[in-house]
Amino acid sequence: MIEELLQSSPGWANFGIFFLLGAVLLLIVLGFVTYGILAERKVLGYMQLRHGPNQVGGKWGLLQTVADVLKLLLKEDIIPKAADKPLFIIAPAIAFAPSFMVLATMPFTDKFQFADIGVGLLYYIAVSGLTVFGMVLGGWASNNKYALLGGMRAAAQMISYEIPLVMSVLGVILLTGSLNLNEIVTHQEHGWFILLQPIGFIVFFIASIAELNRTPFDLPESENELVAGYHVEYSGFRWAFFMLAEYVYLFAMSALITVVFLGGWLAPFGFLDFIPGAVWFALKFSVVVFIYIWLRATLPRFRADRLMEFGWKVLLPIALANIFLTALLKSLFF
Amino acid sequence: MTFSGEFLAFMGIALVAIIGGVLLLNLTKVVHMVVALIFTFVAIAGIYVLLSAEFVAAVQILIYSGAITIIMLFGIMLTKHDDENEPKTGKWRKILVFLGIVGFAFAVYIGIYNFNIEQVSTALHENNTMQIGKALYSKYIIPFELTSVLLLAALVGSIILAKNEKKGADNE
Repeated sequence: MIEELLQSSPGWANFGIFFLLGAVLLLIVLGFVTYGILAERKVLGYMQLRHGPNQVGGKWGLLQTVADVLKLLLKEDIIPKAADKPLFIIAPAIAFAPSFMVLATMPFTDKFQFADIGVGLLYYIAVSGLTVFGMVLGGWASNNKYALLGGMRAAAQMISYEIPLVMSVLGVILLTGSLNLNEIVTHQEHGWFILLQPIGFIVFFIASIAELNRTPFDLPESENELVAGYHVEYSGFRWAFFMLAEYVYLFAMSALITVVFLGGWLAPFGFLDFIPGAVWFALKFSVVVFIYIWLRATLPRFRADRLMEFGWKVLLPIALANIFLTALLKSLFF
Repeated sequence: MTFSGEFLAFMGIALVAIIGGVLLLNLTKVVHMVVALIFTFVAIAGIYVLLSAEFVAAVQILIYSGAITIIMLFGIMLTKHDDENEPKTGKWRKILVFLGIVGFAFAVYIGIYNFNIEQVSTALHENNTMQIGKALYSKYIIPFELTSVLLLAALVGSIILAKNEKKGADNE
């Protein structure tokens, strides 16, 4: 459907349809973010032997996040006097926009996908790298030393961990022979890439946590060293935008792991084909999100120098060795 | 003349690229300039997409996002925070520069307007990632390897520079 729309002559009707589709996806993502945050707080709560939110919206605290967002909307919008005003305003938007752009290529099922471009995987990694500008700019524009330190850390961490992230999926690309996410999924009909590429998966997963800035790699915004890192000076809705970007990336990265390593919308066994692909996708996706939350509850934060050493001296060599091994296996057996 | 979607997209992207370039020259703070640079580079990636060179577009963003971040960090660390540019130059120079720009624009317009580009049908837009890979590893293998040797030399050089500095610090 999208293909036809892209090739038809432009007009207000096309604009309206594209706008509507974008708005629907945005609402779905916002719905995920609302309940993703609640799920995170509940799971963290139970793992730390407490209940988590249970007051607003019934026993399960179903309206807690909605109330929090309303509170953020009503808060006074503060721009520090010494801040660089234009950059301070534009930084949250720069951080958020790429996080939504990467969702365009994600094949949720074989029908539900917005753009089927040839270099989907590369597109995701390239565009998600743009978010770091928002963080560095926000940290710099705040004119606050903790914010600047957080921004610097964000830059160093994102650049260092992007390399193992790309290197670890090269094994998958070698086996598939394509960068297209649809082809990667259809290629997994006889075995998910988590089984064929276990080393690549582990490296990718660790590097993805660092890219998402989640514990144990949440150094850019570590509360007890840098107060809150690059968004110390932000409040109200601008702060909400940074948080939104973070959780939309959680959504996007979980979807990407599902697509690249867990077989996307495909059923694990042939006889389970009668269950629709969307259900399989949602199940696998939820498991990945749960593991991210689980890791957050169990692991302490890395030290900054260890983080760099780990990225360059452990993950990168392992990822390179994995490429070599995959190339060897492919030329021998496939 | 009808406005096709491609034309509209091209005009938007080209405008962003040019405005980014002009702002890069005119803004006074280093970090602001870097932001203008980001817009220019992303817009150029957009133009690559319009030319169906998706792989080049993705690589453009992938490489430059890291590179611009580094430029930004250097800009933050190596310049004074509240530094301003020196005052602008005189009136005469501005007029001369303006005349030069008009002359250049005119010359380029004359040159391009009647320039006939032969439309050759190519298959470059299909599967261009694979085509680039094949060309790179067969026809252009020696330049490709030379580039990687150059990069390796730069890497070794930077490590040696960093090491020396550390030793000097220990001696002091």
